[in-house]
Amino acid sequence: MAVTGARVRVAAEDWRAAVRAACEPLVEGGAVEPRYPERCVEVVEENGPYMVLAPGLALAHARPEDGVLEVGLSAATLAEPVEFGHPENDPVDLVFAFGSPDKEQHVGLLAALADRLTEGLDDELRAAESEERAEELLEEVARGVE
Amino acid sequence: MAGSEPLRVLTVCGVGMGSSLMLRMTAESALQDLGVSAKVEATDASSARSMQADVIIGQGMHTEMFEGAAPVVLTVSNFMDKEALKSQLAAALKEQGWL
Repeated sequence: MAVTGARVRVAAEDWRAAVRAACEPLVEGGAVEPRYPERCVEVVEENGPYMVLAPGLALAHARPEDGVLEVGLSAATLAEPVEFGHPENDPVDLVFAFGSPDKEQHVGLLAALADRLTEGLDDELRAAESEERAEELLEEVARGVE
Repeated sequence: MAGSEPLRVLTVCGVGMGSSLMLRMTAESALQDLGVSAKVEATDASSARSMQADVIIGQGMHTEMFEGAAPVVLTVSNFMDKEALKSQLAAALKEQGWL
């Protein structure tokens, strides 16, 4: 099963801090090397904020060669929303992060995430008052992978 | 798009692993609802330039470079909104006579 983890109500001063916070559980869980969070920040700097893929919601990640050891999915909810510079979907108060060792292994996990998002996972995470609750929600996503 | 061949759809983003994959799920589900047979592929914007497609879908920051590269180029800001994508696709596919 994928490594999962969460941070809730993080006081992030800007989108970079929010992306780093979302990545922290992946580093702690051993899914990615410590250099991965900074690579996720650079992907946004290099490619623009397209990963803000719905109002209020971003999906941060970098590439397999940026230090991914195993598949992982994490999230951070923010105490105050931050601007990524997206023309329609700012401000963002929920940042997911994932990592995959290749271009295939995360596909089932993201499919499960997409399914749960259509059922309201985003608002369930926003409402989570403890890390334990948010982590439980992400574990459920990981367990839902076929 | 030739006869009964499935529609070739590309969902694009910067890296081709995350956002475009999420959009692929939404697009597959929307096309299924519309009863359209389609092969949807997620890819990064630079690879997409060398790929043949009937429909290209992505954020405005990516689709602007694809104007004219496929018969249908759709700009979507909310990748998780299936109903909105469904109406955009329905209108565009009807215009092409594909629906």
